[in-house]
Amino acid sequence: MKIETLKQIIKKNSLNEQFAIITNLSNGSSEIFKIGSSLSKNFINFKNEIENYYNLKKSGIINNTEIFIENYFKPVEVIIVGAVHITQYLIEFLKNLNFDITVIDPREYFVTKQKFQNIKIISKWPEEVFKKIRTDSNTALITLTHDPKIDEPALKHALKKKFFYIGALGSKKTHKNRCKRLKEDGFNNKEIGSIHGPIGLDIGGKSAPEIALSIVAQLVSERNKTIKFNIE
Amino acid sequence: MTQSFNYTILEEAISWIESGQQVALATVVQTWGSSPFQIGSKMIINEKGKFLGSVSGGCVETSVITECLELIKNKNSFKKIDFKVSNENAWDVGLACGGEMTVFIEQIN
Repeated sequence: MKIETLKQIIKKNSLNEQFAIITNLSNGSSEIFKIGSSLSKNFINFKNEIENYYNLKKSGIINNTEIFIENYFKPVEVIIVGAVHITQYLIEFLKNLNFDITVIDPREYFVTKQKFQNIKIISKWPEEVFKKIRTDSNTALITLTHDPKIDEPALKHALKKKFFYIGALGSKKTHKNRCKRLKEDGFNNKEIGSIHGPIGLDIGGKSAPEIALSIVAQLVSERNKTIKFNIE
Repeated sequence: MTQSFNYTILEEAISWIESGQQVALATVVQTWGSSPFQIGSKMIINEKGKFLGSVSGGCVETSVITECLELIKNKNSFKKIDFKVSNENAWDVGLACGGEMTVFIEQIN
């Protein structure tokens, strides 16, 4: 591989767009591929197969060829509402699991740059933020303030946009009241039932890092169930 | 799939080369059975055997490093290496997990 190709990979990654590295294992040549980009003579005979693997986000050696394709695509976005103590541990876990992280908290005194270095952190109300950022069924929401006026607008947005994971911190009682309010706002039982509340797998933890771990375990388990990665 | 730690390895590869080191890149291109690492897992190795990243749970790293050092020394540009299920004659390169994998190694230049 040429160092220029490596540099291109790093640059493409910062743009957060899908691309693939294709390598011809019989002559060692490699290049970056995107839909619409032209292929060199090393790969042009396999155009259809390459496009097929690319569209399926599938990585591996293409059947009956010596062409290896490795797809790079935008990681799953996790939006955390609440820049609280648990959030700091959540970020530590999530960083190693290939998630894109955004933290939202309108309470400016919670948002300190020292606590959240290199993380997108927005000190605004969730409803303002959701007007500006793109979210879809590849997005996850974790609400941690357990303050209805901050958490619930975010939960409503996530339900409408069918986020693949929605989790809300709060006791069983808090969650019951939350569900009641969402029902009054017109959400059906199935929608409300899709919220993980109380959030996290039951690992019997009480401390902030243990709660963060239980949330991350649940989130990863849901990601692996619902998001197709086609790694084989 | 995208693995954020792959980028760290690739960024490091660039910095090694720019500081005058010779670097080989190893990538898992195929797996069968219960091989523990995903396709696309990466490791970089310099001419002194210093390495970063990983292509298995420690089963084949030594062998991959040796192959990469050979590649750099002989100025070859690439090689495809198949690792099969371990047997008693192949203690050092066998996959104890019972899986099989193919690793592609290439010189970065």
